[in-house]
Amino acid sequence: MRFNWKIGGEAGFGIMTSGLAFAKIATRSGYNIFDYAEYPSLIRGGHNTYEVLVSSDTLTAPKWDIDLLVCLNKETFDLHKYRLTDKSMIVFDPEMFSPDIPCIQIPIGFTQIKKTEKIDQMMVNTIAVAASIALLGGALQVFEELIHQQFDRKGKEVVNFNLRLAKIGYVEAMKSKHPKLDILKKKDVFKQKMVIAGNESYCLGAMAADCRYYASYPMTPASSVLTTLAVWQSKNQMVVRHPEDELSAINSALGAAFAGVRASVGTSGGGFALMTEAISYAGIAEIPIVVFLAMRPGPATGVPTWTEQGDLLFAVHAGHGEFPKMVLAPGDPEEMVALTLKAFDLADVYQTPCIVVSDKFLSESHTSPDKEMIDQKLKNHEIRRGKIVPDTKESPYLRYKCADDGISEMLIPGKKGVFYQANSYEHVEDSHTTEDVGVRVQQVDKRNAKILTYFKHDFELPKIFGDLKEADIVFVSWGSVKGSILEVQKMLVDKKTAYIHFTHLYPMPEEPIRLLFAQCEGKRIVLIENNSQAQFGQLLRMQSGIFIREKFLKYDGRPIWPEEIRDYILGKRAQSEKIEKNIKEIAQSETAEVKSEGIKSQQEQDLLCKLEIFSKGSD
Amino acid sequence: MSDLSFDGYAPTWCPGCGDWGIRVGIKSALEQLGFDPSTLFISFDIGCSGNMNDFINGYAMHGLHGRSIPTAVGMKCAHHDMKTIVIGGDGGIYGEGGNHFLHACRGNHDITVIVHDNMVYGLTTGQVAPTAKKGFKSKSTPQGIIEVPVNPLALAITQGASFVSQGFAGDARSLIEIIKAAVTHKGFSLVNILQPCVTFNKINTYQYYLKNTYKLPEDYKSGDKKEAIAKSMEVYEEKYPLGILYREEKPAYHENIPQLEGPLVNRVRFTDFEPFTSSFV
Repeated sequence: MRFNWKIGGEAGFGIMTSGLAFAKIATRSGYNIFDYAEYPSLIRGGHNTYEVLVSSDTLTAPKWDIDLLVCLNKETFDLHKYRLTDKSMIVFDPEMFSPDIPCIQIPIGFTQIKKTEKIDQMMVNTIAVAASIALLGGALQVFEELIHQQFDRKGKEVVNFNLRLAKIGYVEAMKSKHPKLDILKKKDVFKQKMVIAGNESYCLGAMAADCRYYASYPMTPASSVLTTLAVWQSKNQMVVRHPEDELSAINSALGAAFAGVRASVGTSGGGFALMTEAISYAGIAEIPIVVFLAMRPGPATGVPTWTEQGDLLFAVHAGHGEFPKMVLAPGDPEEMVALTLKAFDLADVYQTPCIVVSDKFLSESHTSPDKEMIDQKLKNHEIRRGKIVPDTKESPYLRYKCADDGISEMLIPGKKGVFYQANSYEHVEDSHTTEDVGVRVQQVDKRNAKILTYFKHDFELPKIFGDLKEADIVFVSWGSVKGSILEVQKMLVDKKTAYIHFTHLYPMPEEPIRLLFAQCEGKRIVLIENNSQAQFGQLLRMQSGIFIREKFLKYDGRPIWPEEIRDYILGKRAQSEKIEKNIKEIAQSETAEVKSEGIKSQQEQDLLCKLEIFSKGSD
Repeated sequence: MSDLSFDGYAPTWCPGCGDWGIRVGIKSALEQLGFDPSTLFISFDIGCSGNMNDFINGYAMHGLHGRSIPTAVGMKCAHHDMKTIVIGGDGGIYGEGGNHFLHACRGNHDITVIVHDNMVYGLTTGQVAPTAKKGFKSKSTPQGIIEVPVNPLALAITQGASFVSQGFAGDARSLIEIIKAAVTHKGFSLVNILQPCVTFNKINTYQYYLKNTYKLPEDYKSGDKKEAIAKSMEVYEEKYPLGILYREEKPAYHENIPQLEGPLVNRVRFTDFEPFTSSFV
């Protein structure tokens, strides 16, 4: 059973907070979750939604059909009609609207409660979450504990106020005639679960990798790495900076890395574009740096708060000139932890940039891995710094000494009697500038040699899910699409499928990849990507000569839903066409309605309510 | 005194270039203060000035044009026991890196920024620099530059720099003293050095500077911000004060970061991850 709960309302009124609270209530009751939030690039105005899929089974992707929709305004209902079935439960306020399609109606008088309790719109969330718990057979106590955790530091009054609202919501929903489900029924025994998204996993990975310097200029969807690490720094001693721009972010990180500490930067496409010159500098000066690139749909400012895998080739080709760089792409928060740990090792061992690629969908969607498993991963990680050393016997110091594996010793600056430079010009072994023909070739060859060393020791072939030999259909993909493909494999019970999931995207050795695809001859191979130009397909072809003809591509800013892949594989275009038609109809009919009903009216109401409270307070 | 010398390769600057005098100023100041190449960080910008990377030794980064200040900021954050110096030109520091300059002033990062200000781009063979006087004709502005010049001293003082000074490449003796004071100062220090480019700037010559510069009087009070700003404005009358215009004591950037009690690079690895994973339950 996979139960899909969704809440929607006007942006700026705490939808995100209540969604996350619901997710934690589910995991604290013993269930797995997968969540997905949508929001426009605005602080107020517009529409926010948050859906949480709940199940006893492991979850890797969202679900199309909505089982319970909590509508904090009419827009929520109108915008999600096309994902409702006649079995969907709709929580709504009869004073605002009533559903005009067959469904299970659960009226709750939010407006009335707001009036009697004299609360603002933000507080309605608490009532809605508590009502959901009641309908789904959950324990209110789990929510109450969460409220304590969240508000205890704000004092008794705030806690009791929230507890009272939760009770009201719970009691109101219990009045509903609809039989209560056992979706959230608290389990007796279960493993402790985390509720964690890609960005947070990057934070954990960076901390456990002993990253000591993180600099970042805010940019959706990478910003929460900055804000999370910024809060953590007082406890874990990392230095976290928000400098004047992305140029400063990465160049200061290179300064810190040169001085001997592990350093990282995080950004999205536009900021990454500003960083590329410095990535090139790191390449020639052989400075370790880990870049976290959380993609969003471009070009330019694009569609800032939505998702796309549109910057893969940009990441691969970032930086002018020729130098080695590694591009890793995790597919879920668990892989994010593992590959982040590895990225810091790779940057150090190969003394070159390593880019970890995410996207909004992976960066912000939570899953619920076992806490103990993550704890072990962090605790057991052994740091490899390669040839970065605190001391040396060499003098004069040859920072760029030629070596068969392409890697020279890098002394952490500070040792007396020694000096060297990290030179952005081509240089001789002792790091002084040169334009000499022979030395130029020698140093280029030396840097390029790192690629072969990497193939030998650290490259990992893609992971295979399913039985590749037996499969008739082989999916090929990377990054956040992973979860939806794993879900599709479960859906297509009658088909033999396998999934080739790439994580070490660049560079890639030709032979092993060709051998892998040789096993796929005669099978239906489908490349699935969340972009319009099949960028991984191009990259695969560039590196191995493998060309995948059949592609399923999506680039509307939304993630790929398992149902979409399923319908595509089964040839059910009709289903998706129906959806498209629905969306268009809704878009047309709702533009007018949204305007007339007025986002403003709710905002104004909220403001009036606050003003009233304020004026009373000043009496 | 260490037997490590600051002397790297023989300089490749044009004969008569102001960079020679600046190099003497930097090298002598550092030697007199007891530094050797393994005791300090230097961040070189790109240009004739930045080419000093091969002529002065140190634990150095010769990075990207305009970015020498951020690299220095990163070095300092990672190992604040190391003296950190930026060497660049008017193009890198005030043009391409102008944003970094003003924000480093705001942060009062404990770095010394030494700027070769010759009002022209030398290494790219004679285009205008952001400090050039309005109307200055160059290869890239044959009809004369339209913009008014950047005023580095006024900019630094108003943006929070705690040490602002100006020297002249033709007066190495005074320059040594200014650089010594700047390097010793805790916090952001600027040494703007007026310097003739004998090849591409035929206006701002040694003779020009000898005529238009003057030393700040002995009784000049460098702690008065308003007075310092007034002095920095004299550039518009083509009067260039030499010496320390402004100086104040205030905590440096790294001193405001509680976790930087000791150098970041030297602390033991943090391993208590569990409270962080717990926060996600």
